Amino acid sequence: MNVMIEPSLHDVVSLTQEVWTSFLGYDEPLFEGEPLPDDATVVSATVTVSGAWAGVVSLQVSEAMAHRITAAMLGGSEKVDESDVSDAVGELVNMVGGNVKSLMPGPSTLSLPVVAHGRVFWPHESAEVVRADLTWAGEPVCIAVHVPLEQ
Amino acid sequence: MKILVADDSRVMRQIVIRTLRQAGYADHDVVEACNGAEAFQLVMTEQPDLVLSDWNMPEMTGIDLLSALRSSGSQVPFGFVTSEGSTTMVERATQEGALFLIAKPFTAETFSEALDPVFA
Repeated sequence: MNVMIEPSLHDVVSLTQEVWTSFLGYDEPLFEGEPLPDDATVVSATVTVSGAWAGVVSLQVSEAMAHRITAAMLGGSEKVDESDVSDAVGELVNMVGGNVKSLMPGPSTLSLPVVAHGRVFWPHESAEVVRADLTWAGEPVCIAVHVPLEQ
Repeated sequence: MKILVADDSRVMRQIVIRTLRQAGYADHDVVEACNGAEAFQLVMTEQPDLVLSDWNMPEMTGIDLLSALRSSGSQVPFGFVTSEGSTTMVERATQEGALFLIAKPFTAETFSEALDPVFA
């Protein structure tokens, strides 16, 4: 019998909080919150882990939040353009995904991040094993981990 | 002294540079590369005293960059700054010739601990 190894919700939330405070500061904590509203304009980012453990780590935030995150990561003094937003959100999911990868069995590889406007729609062949609906500065942040369904 | 920062993320390069300043390396010149291939060329032309490289980059990964540098005869001090900080990654980085691997997220203190022995 194959036993699916999954990251725990606690671990994913903890490492996301560590990433958040390290690069977005301690003034606004990241804590448990509400899901993204259905009518939110969303920016999504994913990284894929392949190998001994396979999964996709995703980050979804509102477009306004994505701009705010980018400005904070750039130190607050620069004008932010769309490429910067993709860069910053991609880097956040890269760090969360890289830390999830480190918790899971190896060897495995981490993809480059993919960032897009809009929500992620998951194929039927995948299962959500972790979902954290968090809040930062009053805005929702959704972190999720999906794994392939057992064949 | 000159430090080459290689990362495909401009945002992360800015964070690394900011952290270098916070760690006490504000006086060092910094050269930026957006992938491993560009970093290799810049090591040849700029002769940095240290390379800080991401692992996962397009064109040429950080580990391939390090391997290419060592194969070319370059012994430039090299450290990774990467989102993947597992024991396996650290071992592989060390085997290839890296002096350290800093896992993201990091702090200025982490940078000081890793870089101070290099510039001592």
